[in-house]
Amino acid sequence: MKTAITESHDELRARFTAWLETTIYRARLKYIHKEERNIPTVSLESLSDSCLYTYDEPSSYSSTVSQFDFEEERLANAFANLPIKRQQILTMLFVEERKPEEIARILHCSAQHVYDQRYQALRKLRKALTEEDT
Amino acid sequence: MKSDQFNYILKSAVAGSHEALEIILKMYEPLIHKHSMVNGKLDEDLRQYIMIHIALNISKFPL
Repeated sequence: MKTAITESHDELRARFTAWLETTIYRARLKYIHKEERNIPTVSLESLSDSCLYTYDEPSSYSSTVSQFDFEEERLANAFANLPIKRQQILTMLFVEERKPEEIARILHCSAQHVYDQRYQALRKLRKALTEEDT
Repeated sequence: MKSDQFNYILKSAVAGSHEALEIILKMYEPLIHKHSMVNGKLDEDLRQYIMIHIALNISKFPL
C-alpha cells in the first residue's frame, strides 16, 4: 500500500518535471521572439543630414581625390550587390580585422567556409569593377 | 526531499503559496539556469522571465 502511494508521488514529480520543462521551453521561445522583434532601429527622419551624406565630397577637391572617390563609389555599389552574408564576412575581415577562425565562430560555420566566401566575394567585386571598365 | 514532502509542497504552490513556489523554483534552479543561457552566456532577463512565467502558470498544472 505504502509503495503504491510513493509510486504515485514519484509519478506526480515526473509529470511536474515534464510540465515544467515544456513551460520553460515555451517561455524561452516567447522571450527570444519578443527580443527579436525589439531590435533597436533608428528612423531615417531622426538622423541628421550629415549622417546621411558622409560620402559626398565638395567639388573643390583635387582631381586625384575625385578619381579616388569615383573608384570608391563603384566599389561601394559592387559591394552593395553582394549577398548580406558575404558583406558581413568582408566587413569583419577588412574593417574589424578579425581572423577567419574568429568569424567562423561568430557565424557558426567552418573557417574554410569563410575563406571560400572571401574568395568568391573578392572575385565578384573584381569582376564587377573590370566589367565596368570595359 | 521525500516524495510525500514534494507532493505537499507542489500542491501548496499550485494553490498559490509563495513559500512553496520559492522552494519549487530553488529546487528546479539548475533547469531554469540551463534554459537561460543564450550564446553560451547567462541571460539574466531571460532567467527572470522564465521564473515569472512559472509563477504565473503553476496554478494551471493539473494535479
